[in-house]
Amino acid sequence: MSIATGQATRPLIGQVAKRPSILSRVIAHRTDYLYVLPAIIVMLVVIAFPIYYTIELSFFRTPPNLQMRDKIWTGIDNYRTVLSSSVFHEVTIQTIIWTAASTFFAFLLGLGAALSLHREFIGRGVMRALLLIPYVISAVAASYVWKWLYHSDFGVIGAISVQLGFTDEPINFLDNRQTVLASLIVVNIWKEFSFAMVMLMAGLQTVPDQLIRAAQVDGANAWNRFWHVTFPHLKGVSMVTVLLLMVANFNSFIIPFVMTGGGPADASHIWITHIYQLAFGRQQWGIASAYAVILFVVMMALGYFYVKALTRGDEARAG
Amino acid sequence: MTDITLQRTRPVVKKPIDWWRWAGRFFLTFLLIFTVLPMAWMILTSVKSQFAAMQYPPQWWPAEPTLNNYFKLLDPTNRVGADFLRYFWNSFYVSLLTTILGVVVAVPAAYAFSRFRFPGRNFLFFGVLVRNMFPAVVFLMPLFLLMRWLGLVNTHGSLILTYLTFGLPLSIWLLKGFYDNIPIQLEQAARIDGATRFQAFLLIVMPLSTPGIIATSIFSFIGAWNEYVYAYTFLSRDDQMTLPVGIQRFFTEFATDWPGLMAATFMMSVPVVVLFLVLQKYFVRALTEGAVKH
Repeated sequence: MSIATGQATRPLIGQVAKRPSILSRVIAHRTDYLYVLPAIIVMLVVIAFPIYYTIELSFFRTPPNLQMRDKIWTGIDNYRTVLSSSVFHEVTIQTIIWTAASTFFAFLLGLGAALSLHREFIGRGVMRALLLIPYVISAVAASYVWKWLYHSDFGVIGAISVQLGFTDEPINFLDNRQTVLASLIVVNIWKEFSFAMVMLMAGLQTVPDQLIRAAQVDGANAWNRFWHVTFPHLKGVSMVTVLLLMVANFNSFIIPFVMTGGGPADASHIWITHIYQLAFGRQQWGIASAYAVILFVVMMALGYFYVKALTRGDEARAG
Repeated sequence: MTDITLQRTRPVVKKPIDWWRWAGRFFLTFLLIFTVLPMAWMILTSVKSQFAAMQYPPQWWPAEPTLNNYFKLLDPTNRVGADFLRYFWNSFYVSLLTTILGVVVAVPAAYAFSRFRFPGRNFLFFGVLVRNMFPAVVFLMPLFLLMRWLGLVNTHGSLILTYLTFGLPLSIWLLKGFYDNIPIQLEQAARIDGATRFQAFLLIVMPLSTPGIIATSIFSFIGAWNEYVYAYTFLSRDDQMTLPVGIQRFFTEFATDWPGLMAATFMMSVPVVVLFLVLQKYFVRALTEGAVKH
């Protein structure tokens, strides 16, 4: 398989009416597959099989001892159980709040940081590195550190708010149904806003400087320069960033799981932690699988936009 | 990140006070405090004694700083230290093996996705991408059963195999971006000079893609080092655990040893932070690769 043939087939398909049969094209490209074969094997074992098996399990009642030979066919009962449970509704709302708030604020902080760091100044590189550290360290470490900061008796956040006179006694952030979700969202934003920052900083470099200067000469103020010149250039990056943040937040597990385990009284559960609890806490694997399939469908919708945003220009490149 | 310096030739315009600039400075200061304070408090707590940490109002600055918590963790003769060092080693070894295996599998695949147009390419590639979308938990239940059938529960093999799944798609995606940027003419020239396809790949493309491979390796190492969900589910034997799971198991027994826990968290973060600081350029490049077309 020479490089030339590999490239030539592509344009031909569009132009020539008589398209070579799939089989002959597969045979013509047979050596190409050798390169992807190891990856495909790994993917089949650990991706295709799990997806298939999750779907299968979602139609069965599973025994608590996990001897799957004894599972009982129940049709769509598991789906009905999930969709009609009131905990599911509550958790869904929490998931939406968690995802939307985390994404929105992480993006906003990231955008502000990227714009502020765009100008050259001494210590800029150090600052970027410092701001990125929370993104690099493990979410488990972040969860423990914040759990300690939020500690109901000796937590530093509680102590500071007492010293500053906001409250009379330390607030019990994580043991309170009203504050727990917001407290976790703060941790999540702390952890990931610098991801948005880095993405947008890279995006800012693609904004032509001449345009900004031209706008400046024309008398546009800083806000107008940002809104009419800079921001339109950032649209593509922003879309990818927001999508990636949304996916990451929707799928996040460690922060709620380690910090509160979904409590108190399910107030900080999101879909993922709830599924985990159903499967590994209560051994209701059938119901958890149905739940996972629902999550799967929702993710497919997001995934469609994700792939579209990510592969922009992929086909245009000759490569 | 080097292009920034090239663009900065803007003439200095004398202006009264640039409020936006000041807003930017205040904002950065705020972000810096927000980012650094938790980490600073972690370090401050880790050099306190148990007694000093459990005070209200807190000791803002440790009155008698002590490194005892660290000595305890690094001392193989006591139980705490022996366990901690074993977890550390387990984490290191699992992450390293995952990284090496992942790169070995991902390099040819990424190269193929970048260079060849074989039938099914798009389908496979989207399959690879979409994998990124799915949370560990969806794969957790069937994989747990699979590992039970394979007899891999409580072994590091189960972790390495599963870490490959979330590492691979990302690695393939990142590496493909790097290969896309290597001019195809170089290979063609080598082919004309009589190299086989594979020789051209091995001798021309591989050396040029070293930065990409480094970037990808950092990513998958950090990913594996920080992984928690699978390790938490697959491992129940104490001597097999990796750090993120290990320190949890370990400190909930003595639920209140916060200074010890903070010292352990610090130690756990050191390798990835050092790796990140040393190879920051590659890390940032890997992070933004694909999303931003330069």
